[in-house]
Amino acid sequence: MSIHILGIRHHGPGSARHVKEYLEKVKPDIVLVEGPPEADNILEWVGKEQLRPPVAILAYQPDAPQKAVFYPFAEFSPEWQAILYARNNNIPVRFMDLPMAHQFELKVQRTPAADPDAAPSVNNSMAPYIPGASIVRRNPVAYLAGAAGYADEEKWWEHMFEYRQDPVDVFNAVAEGMQALRQDLQLPYDREEQLREAHMRKTIRQAEREMYTEIAVICGAWHTPALLNMGKAKDDNELLKGLPKVKVATTWIPWTYNRLSYSSGYGAGINSPGWYEHNWRYPTDDGTRWMSRVARLFRDQQKDISVAHVMEAVRLSTALTSLRGLPKAGLEELNEATLSVLCNGEDILLQLIRDELIVSDKIGEVPTDIPRPPLQTDIEKQQKKLRLPQTADYKDYVLDLRKDTDLERSILLHRLEMLDIKWGHRYGPSGKGTFKEQWRLQWDPGFSIDIIEKGNWGNTVEEATSKYVQHQARTATSLKEVCTLLETAIPAELPAAVAVLVQQVNNLAAATGDVMQLMTVIPGLVQISRYGNVRKTDAALVENIVAGMITRICISLPAACIGIAEDAASELLDLIYNMNDAILILQDDELTKQWQQTLYNIARNDSAAAMLSGYATRLLADHRQLSGNELVRAFSYAMSSATPPPIAAAWLEGFLKGSGTLLLVDNDLWTVVYNWMHQLEENIFKQLLPLLRRTFSGFTKAERRKLGEKAKGGVSGAPGNHHQMMENIDTERALKGIPVVLQMLGVK
Amino acid sequence: MSNVLRQHAEQLFLEELEELKKQDNDKRPFNWVLSPQSVVTYLLGGTLKNGFEIQPKYIGNRRLIEIAVATLTTDRALLLYGLPGTAKSWVSEHLAAAISGDSTLIVQGTAGTGEEAIRYGWNYARLLAEGPSEKALVETPVMRAMQAGKIARIEELTRIGADVQDTLITILSEKTLPVPELNSAVMAQKGFNIIATANNRDKGVNDLSSALKRRFNTVILPVPDSMEEEIDIVRRRVESYEKVMDLPAEKPALEEIRRIVTIFRELRSGVTADGKTKIKIPSGTLSTAEAISVVNNGLAMAAYFGDGQLKAADLAAGIIGAVLKDPVQDKIVWQEYLETVVKTREEWKDIYRACRDL
Repeated sequence: MSIHILGIRHHGPGSARHVKEYLEKVKPDIVLVEGPPEADNILEWVGKEQLRPPVAILAYQPDAPQKAVFYPFAEFSPEWQAILYARNNNIPVRFMDLPMAHQFELKVQRTPAADPDAAPSVNNSMAPYIPGASIVRRNPVAYLAGAAGYADEEKWWEHMFEYRQDPVDVFNAVAEGMQALRQDLQLPYDREEQLREAHMRKTIRQAEREMYTEIAVICGAWHTPALLNMGKAKDDNELLKGLPKVKVATTWIPWTYNRLSYSSGYGAGINSPGWYEHNWRYPTDDGTRWMSRVARLFRDQQKDISVAHVMEAVRLSTALTSLRGLPKAGLEELNEATLSVLCNGEDILLQLIRDELIVSDKIGEVPTDIPRPPLQTDIEKQQKKLRLPQTADYKDYVLDLRKDTDLERSILLHRLEMLDIKWGHRYGPSGKGTFKEQWRLQWDPGFSIDIIEKGNWGNTVEEATSKYVQHQARTATSLKEVCTLLETAIPAELPAAVAVLVQQVNNLAAATGDVMQLMTVIPGLVQISRYGNVRKTDAALVENIVAGMITRICISLPAACIGIAEDAASELLDLIYNMNDAILILQDDELTKQWQQTLYNIARNDSAAAMLSGYATRLLADHRQLSGNELVRAFSYAMSSATPPPIAAAWLEGFLKGSGTLLLVDNDLWTVVYNWMHQLEENIFKQLLPLLRRTFSGFTKAERRKLGEKAKGGVSGAPGNHHQMMENIDTERALKGIPVVLQMLGVK
Repeated sequence: MSNVLRQHAEQLFLEELEELKKQDNDKRPFNWVLSPQSVVTYLLGGTLKNGFEIQPKYIGNRRLIEIAVATLTTDRALLLYGLPGTAKSWVSEHLAAAISGDSTLIVQGTAGTGEEAIRYGWNYARLLAEGPSEKALVETPVMRAMQAGKIARIEELTRIGADVQDTLITILSEKTLPVPELNSAVMAQKGFNIIATANNRDKGVNDLSSALKRRFNTVILPVPDSMEEEIDIVRRRVESYEKVMDLPAEKPALEEIRRIVTIFRELRSGVTADGKTKIKIPSGTLSTAEAISVVNNGLAMAAYFGDGQLKAADLAAGIIGAVLKDPVQDKIVWQEYLETVVKTREEWKDIYRACRDL
């Protein structure tokens, strides 16, 4: 009878290969694998056609799904190969780690009770498992790597074990190395680790008792010494006695390579699943096959890569490998050769290799008859609580946000909407500024796919939405996109996401050189900062960035008004109008002052578009910054005869934008306009007429009529002139013309 | 001490090279003075087995230098690419000195560089008197490097006209230089290779033809990775400049260098050092070399016009001169940076004021 302890690195392709070869050689009659015993019953799926890696075992607490742990497997995971071997050879396979039932509870004990938010999220609780030994214990390995002259322990491990062709004694070497580390390093006592290893030993003893003779044990390298030295059964049982326990459910879920890699933000994992898969499939490749794949990928992207390029790249990678004294070219050498030979030093294309080959994102498949994922459970729970049943036909709801239940309903619906689970459609009056919302709800069975997909972001609606929105915020490139997200995130009550969005708005605002884009989003943000707190949201966050953005606008706006075409100018004019409104709503002295200063700059700049300087002058008058003589002076300056008439007309259009009242009440101004109009020569007048008509057509009917009446009167003294003209009429001569006129009109 | 203003690398660091040669036990490629490993050590610095200290010539990513050296062991040529002031020529000079013991086989590329500067020229008096003969041939650095199996350097490769650049193709792929007039050819000896440099910021340069590009491995020399690294580079270079120019000003305070480097890094990367605020990026390159010259300039100002101590005011003009390369766009960028970043830093008040006043 013998026990074979195989220390591995999780997701190590070389380890997987060695495990597979080893098992085929020794032909064990039971296989024990590091993992949660609760999942033993779902191992029967392994080896079935429908379960295709990458997949993960999800272990969670059904009554608190945010407490969950993922155990991901790729085809090249040693654990997967071990389980697969057992299933294919019809021998029993068991997980031997400390049951999650205890682990969850132990974690709660460790977390300070005063801070419920700090309860382990999915990310954190993953850390103890994935490379279980590796992430937490990788640091000790660094001592070995350092002793071997490597700066990076990952690289050392890869070259020592993963790339190794010859598996002779590899597991003994691992065990000895770890033994040495565990003996010599003074590590703090870790109760959880003690418990886990005790349980592993217990499982091994159990297998011995059941009369299995060849027992294969697959565990993280770090644990090997603890399992080789079995100790006394009594001590372990003592240690494991009376552990707290909770209910745990397990299921298979599809996993992706991307989530195996670091880039998904999950602290633990491997960097290059695609590269590992390549290594698993072609362990003897010296880089030629990899480079050919790179070349093929580049050719698909219309980049010319010749066979000579591939040869040169392989040659350079070999030269680098020997310069560094390594036995086999690793991913780094190959990447560096690719960069230098195929990409001409530009690392943009390397990103493509990263996405397509190194990570090579891939999603696994799980059978349809598996238990439900936690996000779905959470949605169903909330639907039940808020009495919003799933219905096949649509149903309308009117929500009164002053009531707690309705507010919660609205929050849930907003969140699902942000998750792209299109259950509810809002219609009718928007929630902004009012307390009513109207929704139409209709459930579609297809949502379950969306839910599983979005389940990757979190196990509760709140967590998933918050993370998903944060992800969107980080990848969004346009300011408008982020601001729209922000507007919807506020009613969805996602403070963490809102904080990220605000930060992102700030970043994009700083990076954009486009003032118009900034000005487009300002009114929306001002709305949020003024009225956002209808829902008790903290609007102060938004206020800060608004101030920053306005400052930026104030700095760059004058330059943006220079040298632009007429249609661009009128577009900008609308933006300035909205912007001015926003400033007035904010009522912030500092910002108002800045804004007025900017308006001055535009008004006084001769090279700014005339329409805009006109409008800026008018706004300054509205702000009471220009009045009386000063205003008249500004007007006459712009209207002076040296100015080409079309420009003057454009200025006037801007100046009178929206309201003619100013003209009606301010007599001085009226005189200036009137005189200007008067001195126009006929052909210039004809030229200007369409422009002037356009200006005046914007006024209300009543204003136009009054203006007309006033114009009839001429300049201030006008009525007098009018009378004079009437007196000079020669009645006799006039009478003579009347019959002719009547005849022309057809009046008999 | 020699009176030469600037010595060649192989003379300046003669002792280091000798010492490396003595300690070098690794395999040397044919005609190389040092083994590839020792070349890497020479460039990046280190301590030899007998305790001899090698100064670092290039401070930065080890991998880049390794790629460069590995490239030179293969039959591909090396193209060092990067912004102005990222030490391309410096690296190329030291590589040539360490590999061939000779960094003088150099062709400076300009728009007017002709074929005869790269392949060979003729001594016309002789040509007329004797007709084409070996003696009438004027050898170029490239030709001499081929004959001796050494490294030839070509500076600013992309400034050379495309037709002239392409004369390199035969030299690099077939390693021969045909001389049709004499019906002969110069065959390159083992150890021959070319290091070319080119900068990727200048407009109106002649891009390499893809046939030529294929013969080069490209290594892009980046701007320094970390703040501390950049400060280190600036400090080392400024101190060596002080020695050469005998400036009476006091040694630059690390604090001042740190501020300059911070400003340059922030503007270059478009984000403040704490990563919290994004800022616009001006059109200039703001390389480390420019930071060095701003500090040097400030030192000279302080020494000759100021009180001998490096103050913010001595630096302000230099900073603005380096940042404002485009009078309209960069001005907005600089103003925004000044108002939103510099102004808010309590201990930067003097720089803010000095820059405002200009």
